[in-house]
Amino acid sequence: MSAQVVPPSRLWLLALGYGIWCSALAMLYALHALGCAFAWPAAVLRTVLALVFLAHLVALGGLWRAYAGRRADAADGATGSFFHEVALWTLATAFVATVLTLGPSLMLAACV
Amino acid sequence: MNAPAEPPPPRSALRLHRELSAIWGSGTGWQRLASVNHSVIGRRIMATAFFFFIVAGLLGMLTRVQLATPKGMFMDAGTYNQVFTMHGAMMLFLFAIPMLEGVAVYLLPKMLGARDFAFPRLTAYSYWCYLFGASILLGSLLLGVAPDGGWFMYTPLSSNTYTPGVNADVWLLGVTFVEISALSFAVEIVVSILKMRAPGMSLERMPIFGWYMLVTALMMLVAFPPLILASILLELERAFGLPFFDPTRGGDALLWQHLFWLFGHPDVYIIFLPMAGVLSTLIPVFARRELVGYTMIVVAIVAMAFLSFGIWVHHMFTVGIPHLALAFFSAGSAIVAVPTAVQMFAWLATLAHGKPRWELPMLYIFGFFFVFVLGGLTGVMLAIVPFDWQAHDSYFVVAHLHYVVAGAFAFPLLAALYYWLPLLTGRSASPRLAVPAFWLIFVGFNLTFFVMHLTGLLGMPRRIYGYHEHDGWTALNLLSSVGAFVMTIGFGLLVIDLLVQLRYGRRSRRDPWRATTLEWAMPLPPPAYNFASIPHIDTHGDRMAPGHVAPALARGEGYLGFTRHGWQETLGVHMTSGVPDQVIVLPRPTYLPLILALSTAAAVLGFLFKAYLLSAAAAGIVAALFVYGAMGSGLKRDHGPLPIGHGLSVPPHTEVVGALPWWALVFALVADATLFTSLVFGTLYLWIAAPAWPASMPPPDLGLAVGAVVALAVAAFAARRSLHALRAEAAPQRWMALAALALFGCIAAVLTLIGALLPHPQEHALGATASVLLGYIAAHAGIGLLFLLSNLLRLRGGWVSARRCTDLRLTRLWLDYSAVSGAIAIGLVLALPSLVAMLGARS
Repeated sequence: MSAQVVPPSRLWLLALGYGIWCSALAMLYALHALGCAFAWPAAVLRTVLALVFLAHLVALGGLWRAYAGRRADAADGATGSFFHEVALWTLATAFVATVLTLGPSLMLAACV
Repeated sequence: MNAPAEPPPPRSALRLHRELSAIWGSGTGWQRLASVNHSVIGRRIMATAFFFFIVAGLLGMLTRVQLATPKGMFMDAGTYNQVFTMHGAMMLFLFAIPMLEGVAVYLLPKMLGARDFAFPRLTAYSYWCYLFGASILLGSLLLGVAPDGGWFMYTPLSSNTYTPGVNADVWLLGVTFVEISALSFAVEIVVSILKMRAPGMSLERMPIFGWYMLVTALMMLVAFPPLILASILLELERAFGLPFFDPTRGGDALLWQHLFWLFGHPDVYIIFLPMAGVLSTLIPVFARRELVGYTMIVVAIVAMAFLSFGIWVHHMFTVGIPHLALAFFSAGSAIVAVPTAVQMFAWLATLAHGKPRWELPMLYIFGFFFVFVLGGLTGVMLAIVPFDWQAHDSYFVVAHLHYVVAGAFAFPLLAALYYWLPLLTGRSASPRLAVPAFWLIFVGFNLTFFVMHLTGLLGMPRRIYGYHEHDGWTALNLLSSVGAFVMTIGFGLLVIDLLVQLRYGRRSRRDPWRATTLEWAMPLPPPAYNFASIPHIDTHGDRMAPGHVAPALARGEGYLGFTRHGWQETLGVHMTSGVPDQVIVLPRPTYLPLILALSTAAAVLGFLFKAYLLSAAAAGIVAALFVYGAMGSGLKRDHGPLPIGHGLSVPPHTEVVGALPWWALVFALVADATLFTSLVFGTLYLWIAAPAWPASMPPPDLGLAVGAVVALAVAAFAARRSLHALRAEAAPQRWMALAALALFGCIAAVLTLIGALLPHPQEHALGATASVLLGYIAAHAGIGLLFLLSNLLRLRGGWVSARRCTDLRLTRLWLDYSAVSGAIAIGLVLALPSLVAMLGARS
């Protein structure tokens, strides 16, 4: 058993990385729909989308750096280490997933 | 409070078995209908799902007979439409999803070291709902009025104009009935996994199957509400003329596709993940080494769960969405193959580094690898937009989905069936019939569906009931039909094999596969209580030696190795660490779930036959039965910490903060919030995309709208004060009365707002969506009143005290949620006139 009880709220950590990926997808899809519906100029729409995309990358990268930079609290025992490792990997893979799924698409024609 | 007393001294294994059997047994004869035990219900779900698999399989065979030759005269077009629609709907909604639930209900408590599921009466209710909902669909088929618009019921084909009979209503109501049962199972699975593991089984020690099921159940909570909402909206359109999907009145047919596939695509993974959990459990046993990459597999499961939600639009590549948005979903659809591949390589590495035994379940695992890899590859092909445009709605897609679904679900399921057969029946599998059955299924399956790739590439569209000789599809269709017959003979042989083994199979010894999980640490077949005493886990849950653990558990040397007050006791633990924190006293057998499900079925059937008063009356009975059912739940006095063995004492579940009902409501609200979010999405989607919207909308009555929000806030506040009062051992009734009054006020305000909406909800989607948003608030306020009524009755009955205050905490949580969601809904209704003005009129 773990040396110290890990609070259940840490379960959210497991969803953090891909939660941010989901947020990026939902925001980009919604903003794209809005931009096309309101006939925003293509450059403005693309800039807004790019900023939202970058904001999510910064959030994912920042969180990953923060996690990678410190070890799991030894007092949390094996459960804490497990959570730390899963959170780290989900953040890293969510970063890659965000780049690959959402990045290149932004170069396509905006509302065609 | 009673002082903790030491548990009684250990008894002999046989005496303990008799005492526990007397407490946990389900009765005989008609009393079986009152059973709430997870083993009984799990077996029932699996048997019912298997029955519907056979029916759906036969329907599939009928389609193959029709298409075996050109200009087939076996069925007319109308019958064919019903047959293929019901084939798909039954396979997905009545076989695959319920079967995975049945596997979870039956296996999870055993694998996690618990004596039952978290809410046995809810388990039974969910099963009866599934059975009755499924029976409505089956009955419609027999009466010739089955759904006939394809298993995904696209609008406008399924709208009143083009499907005027009850066919579509049967689908909408029957499937929603079954889906609500699935949501109940999902809540149970999540709570049971998080709170009912054996002591010491911290999350990183949980068997990998537990992780798969936890993520799957969480996905179900988020995936099913959009479909339930879509079904409600379409039924409202069909029954009352609210035009959500009618483009001539401000609706949009594509809204259905969005809501359906928000469910439909994750559903593929909801089906796949539990079976991947089966593979991750079986492969290490037969490879004789532990699973490679446990942590990475957990990461892959989480990644798949999220990615699967972000690619629903890949079913809609041809509907005219701009390329930039399509590219998001195309890339996502391709990248979801990566976490799938992580698991594939983990399984292959486990086999490569182990010493594999080539036993019967491994045949089906081989079948899985072959079929699923092919299905996955064609999935990546279809993820590429230009290819999808070519292959869309052709038999290529039919081939792909059968490769994916059969590969992901059927082959692992059959591996699981043979692996856990001794647990289910107490008898061993014999390869004499099972091996030829496998080869017939495998060869027949590939002959049927591989050929369909070619038929599709040659241009044969889905859902046609006939074709001409000059189309060039004759030989391929005949081959597919021959393959289907070979596969069916294989399944027939499998059924014969199962029946023979049930009747004549050798009695299995305990732990026949030398497995590594806890479900084998019990007699075969398992007793109703699973474990005579609950084990302490000091190693990984996938690396146990159940054969060694079992005798000590049978002697009562684990936790709760005794009986007390005739209670059905099991343990609750801290979510992450697995430290025991409560004794859970479970309810005894009761007919209530059956009666409740019958009443629910009456409400559904009343709606189906447009007998709305009857339906409303039955719904009232359902509500009353829920309140009545809650009356005798829990314990009628404070007990304080109770000894559980090994020198430990923990309070009963009625006296803890993290009681199971609390967590159940939290997760139920996750599903509720998803439904609400889908409703908000639907409103905004129509605002952006639907044609025939006006330039302006009269604003709703601001005073009434603000009044409704204030009333909800007052109710939430009063619920908090009532809880404070109870904890301070003062009378909470006055605060509860204030909350009830506020809720009545809210309902009155909201109903007045609906009555005054312009445009009228039947005239335009704008009014229709506003009325549903307001109706959502009224429904929540109404349910809040039921919470308060239940609280009051239970306070009077002595079931609630300052220490046993879970009831009031539940009410507080419900009213908090109602206030927040209500404020958002009212805010959106108030914002609609501005939003409409912003975009202006469009035709």
